[in-house]
Amino acid sequence: MGQTVPFGISAPSVERASSIAHSAPIPWFVWSGIVSVSSICFGLYWDISWHMTIGRDTFWTPAHLLIQFGGILAAVTCTYLIFSTTFSHDPAVQSSSVKVWGFRGPLGAFLTAWGGVTMVTSAPFDNWWHNSFGLDVEILSPPHVVLGWGILGVGIGYLVLVVSAKNRATGAVRMKLTWLFLYLAGLSLMLHMILISEYSDANLMHSAVFYRVVMLGTPLLIMGYAIASEHKWGATIVSAIYMAVMLGGLWGMPLFAAQPKLGPVYTNVTHMVPMGFPVLLIFPAIVFDLVRARLAGRNKWLLALVAGTVYLVTLILIQWPFGSFMISPLARNWFFGTIYFPYQEPVSMHRLAYQFQKYEPTRAAFWLGLGRAWIYVFLSTRIGIAFGGWLLKVRR
Amino acid sequence: MLIAAPLAAHVGSPDVFFQGDAGPYQLVVSIRTPQMIPGVAEIQIRSSAPGVRQIKIVPLYIVGEGSKYPPPPDVLLPSKDDPQFFSGKLWLMASGSWQVRIEADGDAGSGTIAVPVPAAARNTMPMQKSLGALLAGLMVLLVAGIVSIVGAARREGQLEPGEQAGPAQKRAARIVMAGAFVIVVALLAGGAFWWKSAAATLSDRMIYKAPELFVSLVPGDQMILHIGDSKWHTRRPETVATPLMPDHGHLIHLFLIRTPQLDRFYHLHPVPDKAGVFLDDLPPIAAGHYQVFADIVRVSGFPDTLTAEIDIPETAGKPLSGDDSTVTAEPISAGSQNAKDANASLISLLSDGTRMIWERAPGPLPASQLLWFKFRVEDAKGKPVKSLEPYMGMAGHAEFVRSDLSVFAHVHPDGSVPMAAVQLADATLPAKLGAAEASSSPAKPEMNMAGMAMGPIGSEVSFPYGFPKSGVYRIFVQVKYNGRVETGVFDAEVK
Repeated sequence: MGQTVPFGISAPSVERASSIAHSAPIPWFVWSGIVSVSSICFGLYWDISWHMTIGRDTFWTPAHLLIQFGGILAAVTCTYLIFSTTFSHDPAVQSSSVKVWGFRGPLGAFLTAWGGVTMVTSAPFDNWWHNSFGLDVEILSPPHVVLGWGILGVGIGYLVLVVSAKNRATGAVRMKLTWLFLYLAGLSLMLHMILISEYSDANLMHSAVFYRVVMLGTPLLIMGYAIASEHKWGATIVSAIYMAVMLGGLWGMPLFAAQPKLGPVYTNVTHMVPMGFPVLLIFPAIVFDLVRARLAGRNKWLLALVAGTVYLVTLILIQWPFGSFMISPLARNWFFGTIYFPYQEPVSMHRLAYQFQKYEPTRAAFWLGLGRAWIYVFLSTRIGIAFGGWLLKVRR
Repeated sequence: MLIAAPLAAHVGSPDVFFQGDAGPYQLVVSIRTPQMIPGVAEIQIRSSAPGVRQIKIVPLYIVGEGSKYPPPPDVLLPSKDDPQFFSGKLWLMASGSWQVRIEADGDAGSGTIAVPVPAAARNTMPMQKSLGALLAGLMVLLVAGIVSIVGAARREGQLEPGEQAGPAQKRAARIVMAGAFVIVVALLAGGAFWWKSAAATLSDRMIYKAPELFVSLVPGDQMILHIGDSKWHTRRPETVATPLMPDHGHLIHLFLIRTPQLDRFYHLHPVPDKAGVFLDDLPPIAAGHYQVFADIVRVSGFPDTLTAEIDIPETAGKPLSGDDSTVTAEPISAGSQNAKDANASLISLLSDGTRMIWERAPGPLPASQLLWFKFRVEDAKGKPVKSLEPYMGMAGHAEFVRSDLSVFAHVHPDGSVPMAAVQLADATLPAKLGAAEASSSPAKPEMNMAGMAMGPIGSEVSFPYGFPKSGVYRIFVQVKYNGRVETGVFDAEVK
């Protein structure tokens, strides 16, 4: 008795741990993380759709407010966590924290706070960039990359907060936290896929660049999260969540009427324009899970080589024919969504979406590109294994 | 001599000033274009008479695919102090040949007018020192923060609650922090390199550059003008890089101004030779160093003012003919010690004993503000002349030149935009399109140019214009009277 549960979570080493774990609720900051990261992700999706549909961009668009709300919630949550830990007289709370610059707090809280400050830093930078180089014309500008790092910090911070809570919990709470972790992981995969969306269009699915870009980050994230979740189907669930959210956007956004508020209008848009159909990551992810189970306990480099290779091969086997389908007239409907174009896209250019773009000029360049994709998937999977292993061991 | 910053339509004078009728309402429009495009322009409209209740604006391209779907209009805000004054924002998302459609509603019904807005990004903005310091400080904080967090993660992140970090963990943490620092610095260096190249690429792609103008003289007192290429233009094939169209009946309006005195002025109209080349049979020209300004308008409605410099020897030339004109004046009272004298010259003697009077209050003029420049022509006895005649379809032409040549604007009584562009934009109005389709003869601006000549002009001519910055300006005011083009010359001090 007399044991306090740090941050509302029982530690397995603590006496009567399991009985506390069964009755302990999910700590409040986990819900704050779910709301904050969801708000940032959906806000970002909305913002991109806003840019493709309405165009007129101010600090106060609802999409921006949603992103800012997520950032502010994260900042407030983590500031409170850090200060309440630092000034807590409870040794149990203090002892399950890390120390940074004299402050004590959960590791994830420091990461999230760092992400929040980085997000805030991007605002004056972005404002200057707009004045100097024009209002947003591209996703990948230097201030947006700073914002991206901030969002990454907030996302990873919350993932660490939740995973450390999970790692310390047992029983039903641990299972609940596992699912909440998988949800956040799915959103983080979605953020990554939004970042590379320029290279994941259907008309690139017969080019090596598509596979090269997808192999850079997705194996790392999916493998890492799968291992950290300790769930048998962790990879499958994470990619399913990504696909579900993207499909929700694809099918949901066009239900809302909207029109461009800026000229020149090249395509007569009448409803919110969604992002494209998601990459079919669930199939290579299933294979990831199967190989993971099969090679459990074996050499990590061997696991990376085998899992990475089948991940790439499976994606090619699935996505290549799917690409042919996506540029065909059969996909030109609300379900597959190749009928949507941003207002800035001249009608005369729409045909380009329905023909494969020859990204690599020669056959040799294509095969070289696929070779690079194979190297990427191997290394990315290996780093993912290390990342997942690290997450699994986070206790604070 | 300062190098003039080239800008689409005029030099150093990017704002649009315009007056015209939206149905029953006479409107005066000023549009302050943003330094960078995509950006937001400020638009101000004043109705010359009461009765206008609401003004709506829609920006769209004059030609091409981007002109087909106008976005929904924005309602301008009326001024609390002046019910005839309205203002708002105009979003220009790409450089090109724009128009803003203005719809006025009021007691006398509704009316629409189209105002061309040539939009071109002018400049990037350097970062203010305070912002740079703030961002640098935040960068140092964030770098130190992430390195410390990574260190803490390695040192304590995986310890069971209650466990203390031992020397092994602390040592490992130091190594990880060093590694993280190297990675972060490498990322920042990569980011800085990317930032620099992205900024350079954007500047190159977005900042307006006038096509080069090569000017040379050949025996026989001929001037050859060769218009070079501009990548900025060729990147915008639909709305900018289109063939030339006549403005006031001429494909090119050439101005030769002797520098630095600005005491000789020639307004000439070279004729096309082969593609991109124009020839001019020069009139008699006084020897000197000349600044060349050449105004052209493209069939998209996009105007350019090309610039060059040339030394011209004493030229016998051929007598002036057609719409060509010239004037000789006193050297400009630049140099600022005589700046006050600039305001004294409100009377300009014309060649036949008549004189041109600038009707204005004494004192310096304000910059960055719409002003009306009114000129009256009277005979030697002070009696207003009967009626001015249209000069190239207009009641008058005025050229505003800053003493250092960093500003040059060719303005008409209707405003600062080329009349050819005005007619192009006007022809795209739904009402006009309907009429053109009904008569199956689409409006052709160049054909209608002569039709712009109005009835009797009277003895006065006025121009809406705003000086872009302070300084001493020379204004050449050109009117036609008794079949002859007369040019009045005035100086103005602008504060």
